[in-house]
Amino acid sequence: MSVEIRRNFSQGTKQRLGDRLFFGTASAAALFAFGLVALILIFLGYRAWPTFSQQGFSFITGSTWEDTTNTFQIFPMLVGSIYLGLIGLLIAVPCSIFMAYYIEFVAPARISKVVRFLVDFLAAIPSIIIGFWGLVVFTPQGISWAELINKYFSFLPIFKNDNQNFGGSPFIGGWILGVMMIPIITSVSREVMSRVDPELVNAGRALGGGSFSILRRVILPVSKGGVLGGVLLGLGRGLGETIAILYTVNLIFVTNLTRPLESRGGSIASWIAASFGEATSAVIGALMAAGVVLFAITLIINILSSLIVERSVRKMAS
Amino acid sequence: MSDLALKRPADATPWSKKSSRNVRLIVAASLFPLVISLAIGQILSIPAALTLIGIFLPIQIVASIAAARFSGLRNSAPDAVLIVVTYFLVTLFAILLGSLLTTLIVKGTESIKLNTLYQNNHYVSLSTPLTYGGVGHAIVGTFIIVALSALIAIPLGFAVAIYLTETRGRFRFVVRTIVQSLSGLPSIVAGLFIFAIIILPGYMPQVGFTGALALALLMLPTVARTAEEVLKLVPADLRSASVALGASRKAAFFQVIAPTAKSGLVTALLLGIARVIGETAPLLLTTIPSQETNLNPFSGPMSTMPTYVYAYVTDPHDALQHRAWSGSFIMLVVVALVFALARIVSTKRTRTKK
Repeated sequence: MSVEIRRNFSQGTKQRLGDRLFFGTASAAALFAFGLVALILIFLGYRAWPTFSQQGFSFITGSTWEDTTNTFQIFPMLVGSIYLGLIGLLIAVPCSIFMAYYIEFVAPARISKVVRFLVDFLAAIPSIIIGFWGLVVFTPQGISWAELINKYFSFLPIFKNDNQNFGGSPFIGGWILGVMMIPIITSVSREVMSRVDPELVNAGRALGGGSFSILRRVILPVSKGGVLGGVLLGLGRGLGETIAILYTVNLIFVTNLTRPLESRGGSIASWIAASFGEATSAVIGALMAAGVVLFAITLIINILSSLIVERSVRKMAS
Repeated sequence: MSDLALKRPADATPWSKKSSRNVRLIVAASLFPLVISLAIGQILSIPAALTLIGIFLPIQIVASIAAARFSGLRNSAPDAVLIVVTYFLVTLFAILLGSLLTTLIVKGTESIKLNTLYQNNHYVSLSTPLTYGGVGHAIVGTFIIVALSALIAIPLGFAVAIYLTETRGRFRFVVRTIVQSLSGLPSIVAGLFIFAIIILPGYMPQVGFTGALALALLMLPTVARTAEEVLKLVPADLRSASVALGASRKAAFFQVIAPTAKSGLVTALLLGIARVIGETAPLLLTTIPSQETNLNPFSGPMSTMPTYVYAYVTDPHDALQHRAWSGSFIMLVVVALVFALARIVSTKRTRTKK
């Protein structure tokens, strides 16, 4: 009904010039933001085209990077990015979910406010500072943990370390990524958990449910989608991280998926930053290609996560 | 009568009651395993952090299950474990953040001198004492570059937010999703993009302005999304009322909606700035660091706080490491100030609304 009235109204009067300018600017800006993604892909793709056409599909699947023979293949860093991201998630996800649970359901109002502030503040701390801290303070700690794990669990192949050098391993890099993911995943999960209908929680309590069964049967099922979206968002952040990985991981261009405690690894983003300084034009083209791959992956993950969060929030509202 | 019916009985939520005896019991129950596990850790000389995870946590969980059993609540063991795990993980977070902050504050205040704030590093060598030279040029550089990128990103971001909230455009959902996913744009890709469209074709060398463009790309989605959230909070009635009074939509926005959301828009601006102050990766590709003060963003190398720190972190020399720490500390303080300002502005908004 109201829609119809509106339509008649705008048809009846001519739109004012100021209004048209106003909305025109806004639409142009929106179009620009929309086009930005395409623009990035097109221009990076244009510079990366020589590499793509030369290497073909083996750019993603091969693992040689030599500028003497003009062979550029990114596989080790590609899986390295994902691998580091997954180790980060392994640390960040449990911590974040329980943090969100603590903030929303356990902590008294005042403390919950403080913790929320601290989480947001951690998200604002520049990654170079976290990387610096990771290099100077966390790495020695991480090395001693890795040594102990290696000492007692080296019968499992994944905890083996042949050269007994524990610094700069994906294990340590993953911890640093985890620290950077915690605030993102926590704030998204908290946001979603805060929308859980308190009536549902109280109903659960009234039926005799304890905290654990309420978390498992009421809070988590309802906020599942949002938490998943937050996890994906955190993963996207981890994949794009450059400086902290550069500082804390021993950047070597090899595929290291089986030995997280050994001192070699890397990610696409840190590889780009590390190789850019003395790059020839062929290498720059290859790095642009690596950037396209990285951007495509993070774009997919981010779109997926925002769709998931949007859907779950809408579902909770109805 | 009605008063009586509305009154909620004091024990309506018996689960939320905590007596002081309970609190004392909980504190004792968690201190006891802590002492035991630290003692075991000392004897076996296991690092403290590992003691906490490997010995304290299992003991604590077992103790809480036992406590739940003895207290006669048969099904409360999972609840006890849940509480233990929750507090443990929150403490882990607190330790990580606390270690990060104390390291920065201790190391930063150790190596910061008054001259660090305003001098540049022009004549600084490895043997120069810390009482000479400083981050001054990088602070100026960051200020110029961030201000320029704010000049670009903030009008754009606000315009996108206006499109998302004030119009009935058909592509709002798509634009919102794209902007949201832009906020996950890896910062190094932003640097690569600016490098590919401006520096590689030779339109401009690596100067301050190219750095500002890369940062603007990262600032845009933060500003647009926060501003959208804020504009959404303005009651629709205000909008309708001003249009009904004969105002044009433009006038309605600038004279009614924008003033209502003013502090929120300022918050969006500040959060956007806080987001990019510490960005290092894009500036590594789009600017060239220098040791001198440069006020012109269109020519010559220009240092910023992140690139200043970056240059010294991996340097094995102690003196330069100290300069990196003081640089990081100043950067953290600046970020904290902007962040706190954003908080103050936004809480003021919610207070006046009530």
